[in-house]
This record gives sequence, C-alpha cells and structure tokens, in this order.
Amino acid sequence: MSSGPVAPWGEVPIGAPPREALSYVGLATRVVSFTIDAALITVVDVVIGVAAALILSLLHIPHGLRTILTAIGAAAFLIGSIAYFAGFWSATGQTPGARVMQIRVLTADGARVKPRRALLRCAGVILAALPLFAGFALILFDSKRRGLQDRIARTVVVEAPGPSIADVSRAKKRAIREASRQPPPALPE
Amino acid sequence: MSDDEKASSRRGVLGPIAGLGARAATATLRPIVGVAGAAAEAGLSLERRAVNRVLESDELERVVVVAINSVHIQAALKQALESDGAAQLIDSLFDSGLIDRFLERLLASDSLWTMIDEIAGSPAVTAAISQQGLGFADQVGDEVRARSRKADDWMERAARRLIGRQPKALPIEPDASTS
Repeated sequence: MSSGPVAPWGEVPIGAPPREALSYVGLATRVVSFTIDAALITVVDVVIGVAAALILSLLHIPHGLRTILTAIGAAAFLIGSIAYFAGFWSATGQTPGARVMQIRVLTADGARVKPRRALLRCAGVILAALPLFAGFALILFDSKRRGLQDRIARTVVVEAPGPSIADVSRAKKRAIREASRQPPPALPE
Repeated sequence: MSDDEKASSRRGVLGPIAGLGARAATATLRPIVGVAGAAAEAGLSLERRAVNRVLESDELERVVVVAINSVHIQAALKQALESDGAAQLIDSLFDSGLIDRFLERLLASDSLWTMIDEIAGSPAVTAAISQQGLGFADQVGDEVRARSRKADDWMERAARRLIGRQPKALPIEPDASTS
C-alpha cells in the first residue's frame, strides 16, 4: 500500500504513527472521501436552494429574471463547491470527508497547500473528470498514487491517522472535568 | 323412688364435695401454673434473644453463603424450577391477572413517567448515549477505512495486471512490538 515516505506539514496528532509511516492513498479511499464531501455539499445546497425557492415563490418574478436567477444559483453552487474544497485543502489539508477517511492533501515536499495551489487543484479535478474520469485513473498507475489534479498542482494525498471522534469527545470531556476540579486562582491581596 | 330422684339426691351430696375438690386443686395448681407461665415467658425471651444473636452474627451469613453454594441445594432448586409445579405456579400467576393489574397500575402512575423523564434527561444518560453513538460511528469509520485501503490495493493490482505491468510489492506490515 505504501509507496514511500513523506513529511507532512503540521502537527502529528496524539497516538498517530511516526511521520515516516505515512503513505500515499489510493483511488478507492479518495472516492469514498469525495462521496462524503459531495453528500455534504449537496445537503447544504438543497437546504439553501429550497429556502431561496420558497422566498422567491412569494415574489412575482418575470420569466427572464427567473432564468438569470437560476444561472446565478448554478454559479453560486459551483463557486461554493470550489471554495469548499480549496478552503479545506489550504486550511487544514483535509475536507470533512478526508477527515473521516483520515487522509490529507499536501504538497509534494510535505508542506501545506497554499490557496492558489488549492484552486489549481480544483481546476485539475475538473479537468480529470472531463475525459470520462480518466484523469483519476492515473492514481492506479502512478508510483505516488497521483491523479491528474495532483500532477497539475504538484500535490500528494497521504494518510493522516488521528484520534477518533469518540476519543476527541472523551478528551474534551476529561479536560472540562479536570478544569472544573482545579481550584480557582487565588485573588491577589 | 324414681331414677331421676335418686340422681338428684346423689348430686346434692356430691356437689359440695366436687366444688371443694376443684377449689383445692386450683389452689394447689396455682403456684405450679404461675411457675410454668414464668418459665414459658423466660423461654420466649431467651428464644428471642437467641434469634437476635443469630441474626446479628456473621455465622448466619456464612451459613447462607454455604447453603447457596451447596451443590445439593442448587440441584434441589434447579429440580424445583424445572418441575411441572413451578411451571403451573407461573401459569397461575399470569392467569390470575395479577401481573396485568400490576403493569396497568404501574403504567398509570405519574411517578413512573416522572422518574423515566428524570433518568432520560440526566446528564449521565445523555452522555452515555452520545458516547455510544460516537463509538458506533468510530467503528463504522474504522471498518470503511480498512476496506477502502484494501480496495485501493486491489484496484491498483487489477489495473496493473490489465496493462501487463508488474504489480507493486505490498508494503511490509509494521511490527506491532516495535511500534
């Protein structure tokens, strides 16, 4: 499964294996991660779309304006989706779907992806999807499991094992409990 | 003289003698009865004290534990529970409608629902439920991750076979003892 060590940026979470043990992630895991993200985006867009449609149904809007509004909605969907991926990739390297699958996007040298490169990667995803998703098939043959978008943006997707949701929740509760147990600091006289 | 007259004249003579005898017997026995009563009282008191002492002693606990652990008693209990009589007893208990009435009364009780609301709303219970939910989500996540990683390798091998390239060597699993 592993195709070579990488040095990811940022802190390695508690309980995670050493950085040398991280490995590149394959197509199936990335598809699952993308599916989770797509589901999230769709749910949010449906909620916003229904709300907007309800509001607009109260107003008398001419047919021409309705078409323009639909185009604006579609553009907003596209921009929102790009902002979602580019934002998460450049902020933490992980979209929510990637977090669930414990994977992370990094530059080839293991650094954080900058916003411009994240946008480039988004464009690469679209390009990879255009020829019947053939751009993603490169992942199956590349030694570092890179797709077209990764080659364009010079990024890699690596495993990012971290504490589970339940562990995080438990740790938070423990911290709160310990904080409440500590006596308040004595006031200066 | 008729028989009735004879009997009444005999009663007239014997009556005072019998009364005298009874009084003498009563007077004679009174101390004895008193002593017997006192003895009985003392016996009862002694018995109560003995029972109290037994109940308070550790010996009773030991005896009960030994009795419960006894193979014979367990076998006897098992036999009793498996017997037709026990089954009939349970049947008659349910047939009597006692349990239905108990449940009806219990469900009609406001206190029960108040208690259930209190328990359901208690922070400990909600924390436990949310923790269990998170634990389940973690389990599902772990399973999905493990399967997707396997699918990664499988797809890669299949794709490489398809184009006739040498499949990549599988990574050596890290030794758990060294990690």
